[in-house]
Amino acid sequence: MRTNWAATVIAAASLIAPAVGKNVDLSTIPPRNTVQLTIYNSEDLTLVRETRQITFKQGVNPLQFSWANTLIDPTSVDLRFKTHADQLDLIDTTYPHDKPQMLYWNVRSEMEGPATVEITYFTSGITWAADYVCVVDPEETRMSFDGYVRITNHSGEDYANAQVRMVVGTINLVEKIAELSRRGLIADEKERAAGRRAVPKTPAKPARGRALRALGYVMDSKPKEIIKEGLSEYFIYTVEGTETIRNTWSKRMQLFEGTRAPFRIQYRYRPAEYGRHMVRLFLLRNDKASTLGTTPLPDGVVRLCRDNGRDGLSFLTQQGIKYVPIGQEIVLNLGPDPEVIHEWVLLRNWRDNFWFHRGGVNVHFSPTKGHRIAVNDTVAGWDDHQEWVERIRNYRAKPIDVEIRRRFGGHVMFRSGLNPTLYDYRTPQFSARVNPGQKRELAYRVTSRQGYDKKQDKVTLLPQDG
Amino acid sequence: MHGRYDKPVLLSAMVLLVLTPPVTAGIKLITLPPRQRVEIQLDNPRITLVEEERVVPLSAGANEVVFAWANTHIDKNSIQLRCLTDPDKIKVLSSQFPPNENALTWQVSSPKAGAARVRISYIIGQLTKTFTYRAVASKDEKTLDLRQYIELHNKANEAFGTAGMWAGFGERLERPIGINETRRLLSAKFQDVPIRKTYTADLSKYGYLDAGKRQLRIPMHYVLKNDQAHRLGRFPLMRGKVRIFQDDGRGTVAFTGEDWGQFTPRDDEMTLYLGLAKDIVVKRTIDRRDRKRVMGNLYDYDVVVKYEVENFKDSPAVLDIAESLPALRAEILGKSRRAVHWEMGKDGTLDEMFDKAKSQADKAVFHVPLPARGKDQKAVKQVHKLHVLIKNEW
Repeated sequence: MRTNWAATVIAAASLIAPAVGKNVDLSTIPPRNTVQLTIYNSEDLTLVRETRQITFKQGVNPLQFSWANTLIDPTSVDLRFKTHADQLDLIDTTYPHDKPQMLYWNVRSEMEGPATVEITYFTSGITWAADYVCVVDPEETRMSFDGYVRITNHSGEDYANAQVRMVVGTINLVEKIAELSRRGLIADEKERAAGRRAVPKTPAKPARGRALRALGYVMDSKPKEIIKEGLSEYFIYTVEGTETIRNTWSKRMQLFEGTRAPFRIQYRYRPAEYGRHMVRLFLLRNDKASTLGTTPLPDGVVRLCRDNGRDGLSFLTQQGIKYVPIGQEIVLNLGPDPEVIHEWVLLRNWRDNFWFHRGGVNVHFSPTKGHRIAVNDTVAGWDDHQEWVERIRNYRAKPIDVEIRRRFGGHVMFRSGLNPTLYDYRTPQFSARVNPGQKRELAYRVTSRQGYDKKQDKVTLLPQDG
Repeated sequence: MHGRYDKPVLLSAMVLLVLTPPVTAGIKLITLPPRQRVEIQLDNPRITLVEEERVVPLSAGANEVVFAWANTHIDKNSIQLRCLTDPDKIKVLSSQFPPNENALTWQVSSPKAGAARVRISYIIGQLTKTFTYRAVASKDEKTLDLRQYIELHNKANEAFGTAGMWAGFGERLERPIGINETRRLLSAKFQDVPIRKTYTADLSKYGYLDAGKRQLRIPMHYVLKNDQAHRLGRFPLMRGKVRIFQDDGRGTVAFTGEDWGQFTPRDDEMTLYLGLAKDIVVKRTIDRRDRKRVMGNLYDYDVVVKYEVENFKDSPAVLDIAESLPALRAEILGKSRRAVHWEMGKDGTLDEMFDKAKSQADKAVFHVPLPARGKDQKAVKQVHKLHVLIKNEW
């Protein structure tokens, strides 16, 4: 416990309450017995729950709790009695105006002797984040998928031998904890106007002779299990045993190990999602069949490598993934593939099925319906036809599956022999397999009704002519 | 522990330390395992991955292995330690990142004391690659010898000793890479690659040389097809600068220019610009523009584009004529956002020279053979006509 900056409880020896006015005083500093950190990743929020043993005397016992240079929310500090709860009462809490990161509790005791108290509070500055490392086998059929969590402590406080829990899920806060810790209970208007944030001072080196475990020097010799449990809409990861989370340090631990997870490869052209090029995707599922599925995957960065078969790795990609529930597909985007070439080629344009407007009578005529067109009639509607081809060349050693989505605006007829489906009302989607070395052409015709002839704003799928 | 490896970090950019337990006392023993093997993986287009192997002495139980990389551009989130010796038994328990230092400490457990080979991999910045080419064309410009080089630029502030390198294709290379060194490595060699030398008349792309005379700019290119029939096609050709030389027939070569060779997939063509041809003169005029009413205000346009071509070279050549139909329509009708509905007419002379494979809906391409100038030093003037019906305009 560092009295300069750490969250500190001082039990004053004097029985006179309040004890804050005395110039000569005697205090004892009860150390933490246990501490538990519950760290949320959706907000800069950690719930700290610590227990300490305090010896009480009968009558009123003043306690001082201070948290100089930390990021504790003073409105969240709470004191409860774990033992002798029926003989101990918290009768008042005082926040002195001249000492912003401090409070006093007056506890009335009907007993004399030690009792265990639990102090809880919120702090900001402790965060955790997930990341994932995947290594694909040379055949590109399976991958290892290992998850890690990294805890970073910038709270201004060391937490030695803490039970660490991490919460996955989004919670609602109406005020940020960092702002509350900066503001204090009574906001300093000058500071608020200046918009400054209290930054904890870098702590001094720990004094020699501290417990080695508290410094994190004593290590277990086996990997710690991280227990994963669901709670309501949240998931809680609990690190086995205790961890020392030192201020300004970060620590990374393995969350899970996915071994030889099967995946499939697909090539997609979806401009709205992946930009205007065909991309290579590795698709797997967060489920038991994939040796995963023990936990939802929190937001994090995936780093994907491939065993290049030459006793080394090839770096494929790194990308952020959003929360993946158990059972959902994981999509890893490798970007364009130089061994798979995709071209979109317009082969032919033409127009027909004209409609003409006759001024004065305000009537439309169509020569294809046998109407006679006068010299002064003007074009009011027509059909645009375009013949397109998607050319795909596969230089890889394996067949590839491609899926293409094309969006068209207006009143469109999409004719093809590609067995397309509609992704939405204006986006045909079709798939094909391209064998190794094959140059495949996926052809279709798009008829777009224009002007007077335009009656809809959607794509209709039609079979290929003839 | 805080700051205890400041000194080695300052002395050497990248170090691996193994702290023999207990690490609690003031007197410590630190071993510095050297690199046994380094592989620089260059196959990702943007990112360089380094893998290095070291043999670390481990004690039974928990060990601390410190990796520090002062003044280098390592992505610390990418650093991985894998144990190659007894990977099922020797485990990385956790890693800790001290504040304000480019270092991390792995806690590694080992069931027994002994040496273990570990592989450390990380993404490094400022260790980049570019591709360059040297092309030497034969005197008759029918073939060229092409050499591809990888230029490795090491600004990462770290010397890697002798490192293996692989660009994702071709052979693995092994060379020492020093600090701030750029090393040029021959990565592929292609000999007697058949090439085409092209002369292109394309008003919409290259414009006029003399607008008053309607004389077109005629750029020259070497065209290399990246396929096996042309002694290439082993892998896609990466983008890079190509320095072009030509055999002068006297045992030496002359530098004839340079161009950026664009990324060229297999079966595609790499086109290298050589400059403007002055000895092939092409004048282009609109020879006919007839408007024909279809009905109402709907018209077809009967257009003939005339090309007058003279080859003043003493060798035959092939002129590629490309006509952009949207540009032609804009030339005779003004700009329009409608697609061009067009057909070839019957009054043209280029039909047999039409290249269907290179033509698209909005571009027609023809290849016109040009004879060399005559013995009397006079060039034959060829007149070719492109007859186009631009249909259904209003």
